[in-house]
Amino acid sequence: MTLLGEFALWISLPVALWGMVLGYTGGRTQRGDLVLSAERSVYAVFGLLILASAGIMTAFLTDRFDYYYIANYSNRELELFYKITGLWAGQRGSLLFWALLLAFFSSLAVFLNRSKNREFMPYVAGVLQTILAFFIIVLLFADVNPFERLGFTPANGQGLNPQLQNYWMTIHPPTLYLGFTAFTVPFAFAVAALLSGRLDARWIQLTRRWILTSWLFLSVGIVMGMRWAYEELGWGGYWFWDPVENASLLPWLTATAFLHSIQIQENRGMLKVWNMSLVLLTFLLTVFATFLTRSGLIESVHSFAQELRIAYIFLGFMGSVLAASIILILYRLPQLRSENQIESFVSRESAFLFNNLLFVGAAFTVMWGTMFPLISEGVTGQQISVGPPFFERVNFPIGLALLALAGIGPVIAWRRATKKNLQRNFMTPVIVGLVAAATIWIMGAHHPLALVTWGIGAFVLTVIVTEFWKATRARARIENEGYATALFHLVSRNRRRWGGYIVHVGIVLIFMAFAGAAYNVDERFHMVPGDVAEVTSPMGGTYQLTYEGLSVSLANGQRNLMWQAIATISVVKDGEPQGILTTEKRRYTTQEAGAPPMTEVGIRSYVGEDLYLILSALDDIEGAVAAESDAQGFDLQVLIKPLVSWIWIGCLMLTAGTLIALWPSVDRKRLAEAEPVAEPATAGAAD
Amino acid sequence: MTLYVGVALVVAAVLLFIMQPVVKGLHASLDREENELTETEARKRVALLALRDVEYDFLAGKLDQDDYRSLKSQLTAEALAALEADEAARGAGPAATDSDAAIEAEIARVRAGLKNGVVCIGCSFTNEPGSRFCSACGHALEGATAGGARR
Repeated sequence: MTLLGEFALWISLPVALWGMVLGYTGGRTQRGDLVLSAERSVYAVFGLLILASAGIMTAFLTDRFDYYYIANYSNRELELFYKITGLWAGQRGSLLFWALLLAFFSSLAVFLNRSKNREFMPYVAGVLQTILAFFIIVLLFADVNPFERLGFTPANGQGLNPQLQNYWMTIHPPTLYLGFTAFTVPFAFAVAALLSGRLDARWIQLTRRWILTSWLFLSVGIVMGMRWAYEELGWGGYWFWDPVENASLLPWLTATAFLHSIQIQENRGMLKVWNMSLVLLTFLLTVFATFLTRSGLIESVHSFAQELRIAYIFLGFMGSVLAASIILILYRLPQLRSENQIESFVSRESAFLFNNLLFVGAAFTVMWGTMFPLISEGVTGQQISVGPPFFERVNFPIGLALLALAGIGPVIAWRRATKKNLQRNFMTPVIVGLVAAATIWIMGAHHPLALVTWGIGAFVLTVIVTEFWKATRARARIENEGYATALFHLVSRNRRRWGGYIVHVGIVLIFMAFAGAAYNVDERFHMVPGDVAEVTSPMGGTYQLTYEGLSVSLANGQRNLMWQAIATISVVKDGEPQGILTTEKRRYTTQEAGAPPMTEVGIRSYVGEDLYLILSALDDIEGAVAAESDAQGFDLQVLIKPLVSWIWIGCLMLTAGTLIALWPSVDRKRLAEAEPVAEPATAGAAD
Repeated sequence: MTLYVGVALVVAAVLLFIMQPVVKGLHASLDREENELTETEARKRVALLALRDVEYDFLAGKLDQDDYRSLKSQLTAEALAALEADEAARGAGPAATDSDAAIEAEIARVRAGLKNGVVCIGCSFTNEPGSRFCSACGHALEGATAGGARR
């Protein structure tokens, strides 16, 4: 099976190249047979890559340690679950997995468009096969072939890095990869539009859903990564401005910019070159993200590869795509001219424009900060990394400005906002925002950045709630419906608009949660059994943490564990018992001899805050493992992290909003044509 | 041995699958399907959506009457232009099918509505023909039967 998989990978290359050539030729010569063959080759590549992936999985399940990849990422004792997900545990497998997902989305795109948008499809198939061929070439020729054999068969594998043995870690990379690879489809449509010269608004309409899907996966993938870092890395944070985190953030920023700017193109026929460039840029950034993650060019907690050949291949590919994109856009420039001009500085168009500039600006600064070590190495010969303070100083203002725009954009008028329009719509939200900030200040929170964030957050939430309220009320009055029915109809008639608002609510919650970090509490205690540590929460209330004792279990290699030392702490908050919480040190058999044991933290989540316990250090590791009763002392680090839960809640809102926006609407044509006039009185309220 | 058989089978299947269209002359369609939006239709759709947005903004109290009136007349003119352009494009196309005829009727209705709807003198809202009071501001409408029954 594994050998068959290897052959399948080799066969997939000529098939992809075949599809690539036939797609372009078929489009050029308008020959339907060539195009059909090209489209079928997309399915064929998908099938072949399924075989290849099945080959790797079989190798994992049957402990084939003669394969380099299996020997490095698995061993006999690894749990079955992690053997199955081993396909994306390391660089080589994840590149194959990446190609597999790409082939999946490519096939889906071809299948969904088998009887529509046909004039785009030859080029779409050609572009998709080009990208697939590239990834297959990387797999086969860049020293990262997952099927590479060692010259011998080791008795056992190296095992999987314990930090990767976490359920978030099994689901976070695939989710991100889904987002990255799904974005190839809009890219293919954009290039097809450029190649075929059909540059009206249609390519945007038919890729919007793909972009939203990709964006959803990216967003959720990023938040899952935060969750993993929060639970597993054991330092209490969720974002470190690590190159790999940044790499996933970059395409998210430009994709978000695009989702906003297409609305200007759809409504006002402007920014066509800009939109096209954003799609191409986002795609390049997804490739860049793979490149950064999987080439090890910049040191990062995620990178495990040092091969340089892959770096040159990737750079060459990205350079070619960039050059080809620029040439294509320049070639089609006359057809991409704007139909309108921005009439006023104070209008929804310019709000969108600012939004875009900020998103792209943020992407640029993140990119700069991420690449800085490399640039400094080139210039001075030393890698200097800029660290979180740089990113925070630059991105906090940008983030806050974007947050404010989320409140301004929806209510400011298109074309030209008059003074009256501004007063009418912004008076109440601004007052609410100021009152909220003042109230929080009086309650004793004086951190300026946090206050500003919460004030702006309250402003945006007020705007959105008002939008919902006014529209529901209008509809309820006109249609004689109850408020709940009216709200339901309102949202279902224009899912895109109201779904977007719900996404904004999610984002606001996430930002407000970020600001909670200004009030993190971090205290350390030395504990022996019976000791009580008292920590006061900034949200009110005091925790009494009683150390009940240390229990040690010797796993003797089961699940790769050597031993676990578990500190049990009972939690009482303001006299109310809250049960127990544990934090532990673990040593894995797969760890190097001198390496420190791994830490597992204990987290208790409340609506307002998280209690986060870290076993920093055992007084006497040997004694503790030998279960000596006087060796139970340890250093306890207690963190209180306000509002963290709201990041996850915000992410759920974001998901719900995006799903609402994605949900297919009732016959869109009918809606667009019939509604505004057939029911003039309700049309406005309905949407 | 089984390996070679497997590989041969896979190769044969793939070759058959992707070569068949070329050898047998099976063709994929490369033309726009009938039920897809044309460029003029897309423009029309955008114009009508913009009109809808303005009405929404006004009804929700986000636009005052002056702004609403000027925007609405501007957009109505744009929408009409888009409708006419679309109609012209359609006329130049192939003979109308049943579904085309239905769309034609729809468009005629839309145009009649835009042209003959009862415009409120108080707020310039375009009401259903036959309305006696403005749905937006409640103002009494004159010449309430101007558009006649359309439905």
